[in-house]
Amino acid sequence: MEDTVRFKRFLKEGNLPTPWCPGCGNGQVLKSLAQAFEELNLDKHQVVVVSGIGCAGRSAGFFDLDSVHTAHGRAIPLAEGIKTANENLKVVVSSGDGDLLGIGGNHLLHATRRNTPLTIVCYSNEIYGMTGGQASPTTRLNTKTLTTPEGNRDVPFNVQAIIKAHNCFYARSTTFHLPHLKKCIVEALRHPGLSFVDVITQCIVNNGRRIGFKDAFEMLMYYKNNYKINDNAEFLKDNEIGITRCAGV
Amino acid sequence: MLKQLLQGNQAIIQAAERAGLGLFAGYPITPASEILHELVGKKHIKVLQMEDEIASINACIGASLAGLKVMTATSGPGFSLMQESIGLAHMMEVPMVIIDVQRVGPSTGMPTFPAQGDIIQARHGSHGDYFPIIFYPNSVEELYRYTFSAFNAAEESLSPVILLSDGYISHLYETVELKDYPIAQRSMPPLGTSNRHFTGLTHQDSRPVTSSPEAHRELLAQLQKKCTETSRNYSFYEYIENTEADTLLIAFGALSRAVYQFKDKYALFRPIRLFPMVEELKDVASRYEHIIVLEMNAGQYCYQIERLLHREVGLVSLPGGKIDIKEISDRLQGLRQKLPKQVSVS
Ligand SMILES: Cc1ncc(C[n+]2csc(CCOP(=O)(O)OP(=O)(O)O)c2C)c(N)n1
Ligand code: SF4
Ligand SMILES: [Mg+2]
Repeated sequence: MEDTVRFKRFLKEGNLPTPWCPGCGNGQVLKSLAQAFEELNLDKHQVVVVSGIGCAGRSAGFFDLDSVHTAHGRAIPLAEGIKTANENLKVVVSSGDGDLLGIGGNHLLHATRRNTPLTIVCYSNEIYGMTGGQASPTTRLNTKTLTTPEGNRDVPFNVQAIIKAHNCFYARSTTFHLPHLKKCIVEALRHPGLSFVDVITQCIVNNGRRIGFKDAFEMLMYYKNNYKINDNAEFLKDNEIGITRCAGV
Repeated sequence: MLKQLLQGNQAIIQAAERAGLGLFAGYPITPASEILHELVGKKHIKVLQMEDEIASINACIGASLAGLKVMTATSGPGFSLMQESIGLAHMMEVPMVIIDVQRVGPSTGMPTFPAQGDIIQARHGSHGDYFPIIFYPNSVEELYRYTFSAFNAAEESLSPVILLSDGYISHLYETVELKDYPIAQRSMPPLGTSNRHFTGLTHQDSRPVTSSPEAHRELLAQLQKKCTETSRNYSFYEYIENTEADTLLIAFGALSRAVYQFKDKYALFRPIRLFPMVEELKDVASRYEHIIVLEMNAGQYCYQIERLLHREVGLVSLPGGKIDIKEISDRLQGLRQKLPKQVSVS
């Protein structure tokens, strides 16, 4: 098998296509995860992927390894149960921003406090995609969504601050910066405690097109122009992506 | 044989430990908390104090899929929080034991007076259709014994089995003979051995199938068959015949202990497996002119019995945590005079 496609052994190609819209960024995150597993040369029986509910939540079902698709918001505690039962498994949570930060936000707080060794990949499309485009915890200020027709008045969830408050691993990337995204996931998987990868990804259908983007390509170009890579920051600025330093590790 | 004076909750722990409990996840709530604290520090049992009951049951689901026998314990408010994920565990076919030590509700109610108000919640609390196996013992010795049954039935049915208790029997101290009962082995290969997909979506061969009514009906029928067939191996009830009596009293849990007082005047039937309902009750009930159900709620099980027997059933409803023999006796007298005579043809 050619090296560039070896990551496919982690995917259930027979289950394709995914239910995602054309132009959706989720497929890139899925692929980056598989590539990161491949880069670390993981054994399929060493990894378990857990998702919650939402568009991103459907990701677990496309991995060719044991995977769990739990209730909305509950991927983290379920993953903690797996990890506690069998610490030899690499347990990866692959889910959406609404799922992990909204309905499941309390679990994230406590999982970081416990520093449970999990890698959490958050598909941050800044919207509740699956349910049609309501404001999510990461929706930016003044953004118009179905539930914020006048523009969002609530401050977006500062997930970086929360993860770092408990000295867990935090990295941020986008679906434009694919080699960087893969690198973030690889480093997260290497981290001994809880690691969180915040992936800025495009929901063209229920977010992007409503806020003036013509297509997914325009959103990707926006990521390209707006975000600078900084892989050695203590704390990332809003327009930065990168792997932040984690004290004591 | 080892005999010990144990509290009800401690008896559950003793049995769970012997049945092979590997992980317990829970959140404090009276009258169930002893199960959480007294498990801490036990060799071979991992204990997670989670941030709430939703996290607790999900940690149990994860650990069960990963290969351990798991249990959680709670009371009404926490049991309500678990409901969504109980449905998930049925859909994903995850064995586990859930202890619900009932207290007076709704809401915070009267913490922590005993009650029997979670009967319907235990049976139907999650959305959609599912067919849980539910036991409700009435003594410390029975809590011990039926905890083994709960673990075994969970493995056999690959489903969450509910063991109901209440504030009285969980806090009662009685002598228990710590017998060894048969123990089922883990019936499912653990996570990390295959490429299965466990999902709460309707599925076929571990793939989501979300727009086929036929697939959904087939899945439901399979789940129902599996739980119902398993339950037949656990047909637990107590029947105290009384050939002089024209009335059969039905009671369970704490209240059934008081109802024993009336066995000279009445026949008594005590279901220990509340759901699926024990079929034997149909035959027993056909021998009596009147049926009266006594329960510490507003009639939750009574309606189930009417449906099972297709006849009118009297109700002595005793919510609020009080069990008073004189009150029960007066209520029975009053009720019996009002009930129409009927013998069902079964
Ligand atoms: C308990 C519960 N509440 C609400 C829903 C409906 N629901 C499904 S997906 C979703 C939002 C998912 O948002 P996010 O996690 O951001 O995922 P995305 O679709 O954007 O990838 C909601 C609210 C549900 N399934 N369960
Ligand atoms: S609704 Fe948005 S997030 Fe969901 S699949 Fe479509 S583009 Fe992707
Ligand atoms: Mg989202």
